Amino acid sequence: MTMRRSVVLLALALTSVGVMLSAATSSARPTAVPSWCGPKKITLGLTDGFGGNSWRLVTTASARDEAKKCPSVTSLTYADGQGNTQKAISDIQGMVAKGLTALVVFPDAGKAILPALRSSYKAGVVTVPYRVTPGGKAGVDYNVFIDTPFAQAGENWGRWILRVLPKGGNVLMLSGPKGNSQGVEENQGLHKILDPTHKYKFIGEQPFEVTNWDPALSQKVLSADIAKYKKIDVIVSDFGPSLVGALPEFTKSGRTIPALATSDGNVLGCFWKKNVAKNPTFKLFTVSTQNDHARLAIDWAVALATGGKKPATTHFPSLVFEDSTTGKPHPVECKPSLPGDIYLSAKLPATVQAKLVKK
Amino acid sequence: MLLRGRLAHDARRRLSRGLATVTVATVTLFAASGLFASSSLSRGVLLTMLPFASALAIAALGQTLVVMQGGIDLSVAGGFSLYVVIVTKYPAGDNARLLPAIGIALLAAVAAGSVNGFLIGRMRLNPIVATLGTNALLYGAVLWYTAGIPTTTTARLARVGGGLWLGIPKPVYFAVVAAALVTAVIKVTPSGRRFEGVGANPTAARIAGIRVERHRTGAYVWAQILYCLGAILHAGIVNQPTAYEGNNYLLPSVAAVVLGGTSLLGGRGNLVATAVAALFLSQLDQFVLALGVTYATRQLVQAAALAVGVALYTVDWRTVLRRLPGRRSAGVAPT
Repeated sequence: MTMRRSVVLLALALTSVGVMLSAATSSARPTAVPSWCGPKKITLGLTDGFGGNSWRLVTTASARDEAKKCPSVTSLTYADGQGNTQKAISDIQGMVAKGLTALVVFPDAGKAILPALRSSYKAGVVTVPYRVTPGGKAGVDYNVFIDTPFAQAGENWGRWILRVLPKGGNVLMLSGPKGNSQGVEENQGLHKILDPTHKYKFIGEQPFEVTNWDPALSQKVLSADIAKYKKIDVIVSDFGPSLVGALPEFTKSGRTIPALATSDGNVLGCFWKKNVAKNPTFKLFTVSTQNDHARLAIDWAVALATGGKKPATTHFPSLVFEDSTTGKPHPVECKPSLPGDIYLSAKLPATVQAKLVKK
Repeated sequence: MLLRGRLAHDARRRLSRGLATVTVATVTLFAASGLFASSSLSRGVLLTMLPFASALAIAALGQTLVVMQGGIDLSVAGGFSLYVVIVTKYPAGDNARLLPAIGIALLAAVAAGSVNGFLIGRMRLNPIVATLGTNALLYGAVLWYTAGIPTTTTARLARVGGGLWLGIPKPVYFAVVAAALVTAVIKVTPSGRRFEGVGANPTAARIAGIRVERHRTGAYVWAQILYCLGAILHAGIVNQPTAYEGNNYLLPSVAAVVLGGTSLLGGRGNLVATAVAALFLSQLDQFVLALGVTYATRQLVQAAALAVGVALYTVDWRTVLRRLPGRRSAGVAPT
C-alpha cells in the first residue's frame, strides 16, 4: 500500500514537474509566432552564389534573423558559392543530398543554376530562388521566385530627378558588369519616367557605364567621363558606396560633385555629410539596398515547408530611403562611429551589422 | 669570361630593343590620345591614371623578376589582395596602426614568396601549378581575414595614394624609385648579374658555381615584396578597396612584362621597359574609355595590344618576311 502510494506520489510529482517544464519552455518561445511559420518541423538551407562582401553578409544575417523567428525551423545551413558557379551548383546538390526540407537560393549565375534548382524541386525540397532571375517557371522548376522589380528603383530615381532638375540635364548612369539584368531594368525604369519630358540626355555608354561595381574601375570610368562631358547634372548608380573613391574625381578636376541618385550605405551618407558644404550641387537620394529581400524569401520558403500562411506577395519593392532635399522619408544618415560597410536601411540593427562586419 | 661578356652584350642589345619598342609605342599612344581622344589627356584623367599605372608598374617589376628566372607568378592576384586587406583592415581607420600593418603585410609577402620559392626553387614544381596553388592559399587567407568585406582606407594612406607632390601624384615617385633601385641592383651589382645569369642559362650558372635554387627562390620573395608595395599604394588610391583587388593585376602584370620585351623563357630582364609598359597599358585603358567605345571593344583593344606585344618579340619577323611568297620568288635565282 505504502509502496503503491509512493509510486502514485512520484508519478504526480513527475507530472507536475513535466507540466511546469513544458509551461516554462512554451513561455520561453517568442510570444508572437509569425503567420508564415507553420507547425511542421523543417531544416532550412541557404545558398549564395557569392557571399564575399558586406552587403551579402548583412543579407545573410538578415535571413538568419528572419528564420529564427520561426521555432519550426530546427536548423539553418549556409553555403557560399564564392563566385564559382560550379561550387554554387554543388552546394545546392549537397544540401538536397543532406535531406534538407527547404532551400533558399541566391542564384547569382542566373540560368546556369536552373538545372540544380529543378533537381532540388523534383527531389521534393521546397526551393525558393530570389533576387536574380534563374529563368524557368514557378511550379515547374522551383516553388516560387521572389523577385524585386529593379525598374521600380529606376522609376524612383527618375521621379527624384524630375523634381531636383526640372529644367532637364545630362544623366550619367553607372552599373555593374556589362548587360547585368539589374542595371538594364533600372535603366528602363529611368527612361520610362524621364523620356516623356524630352529634357534629359543620357550620356556615356548605353544603357550604362560598365564598372563591375569595382571601386578602382569606377574611379577610372568616372574620371574619363568627367573629362569627356563638360556637363554632368546627375549621376545614377545602383551601388552608391562603391562611388566614394570615385566622386572626388570631380574635385580633382575643379568641378563640384553633381546630384546623385543611388542606393544607401553608411559610408556614402558620411561622405555626403563631409562634402556637401563644399559641393552645393551635391544632392543625394537613395533607395534601400534591400538587404531585407532575403527575409521575404525566407518567409516564403518557411511558409511552404511548414504549412504556414503564404506572404501576400512575391515581389520585394524598391523603397525610398534618404532624400537630402526633403529629408523624407529620411534625411541622409551617417553613423561615423560605426563601420562604413553597413546599411542603415536594413531592419537588422546598425550595431548588430557593425559586429558582423568587424568580426 | 667569354660567356659573361656575351651575356652582357646580349643584355644591352635586348634591353635597348625592348625599351625602344615600348617607348615608341607609349609615345605613339599619347600622340593618338591627343589626336583622337583629347579628353584622355586632361589633367583630371592623368591624375587618376598615373597612380594606377604606378601601382601596376611596381607589381609588374616583381613579375619581371620571376619571369627572368623562367617562371611566372600567378599568385600576384592573391598576394596583392592579401596585402591590400592587411593594410586597410588591420588599421581600420587608425593612422597609428598603419605602420605596423605595413610591417605585417611585408612579413606576409616574405612568407608567401618563400612558399613559392621553396615549391619552385627547391621542389622543382612547375611555376604555373605551384603559384596557382599559392594563389588559392592566399585568397583563403584573404577570406579568412576579411570574410570578403572591404574596409575604408586610413586617411594617412589615402594621402599617400591620392596625394600630389610638386603637382605629380605621389605613387609616381614610388614607382620611379622602385624601378631605378631594382634596375640598379640587377644590372650593376654582382649578385644582380648572377641573378640574370641564372635566368639566362641555369646549367652554365650551376657549373660556374652559382647557387641556382637560391636565386630562383629569391626571385619569388622579392616579387611578393614588390607586389606588397604596389598593393599598399593601390589601397591608398582606391578609397574603399574590395577584397579582390589583385584580380585586376594578374593579366596586366604579365602583359607589362611581355610588352617590355622580357622573354617569357627567362634570362635578360627589361625592368625599366616593364615600368614604361605599365604606363602604356594604363593609358590605353583611359584612351579607349575616352573614345567612348563599348566595354566589349575596350576588352578587345586591350587583348589586341597584348597579342601585338607578344608577336613583336616572339615572332622572327625577318624569317616571316623572307618566307612571304612574293619575296621567295624574287629571292630564288632562276636556274
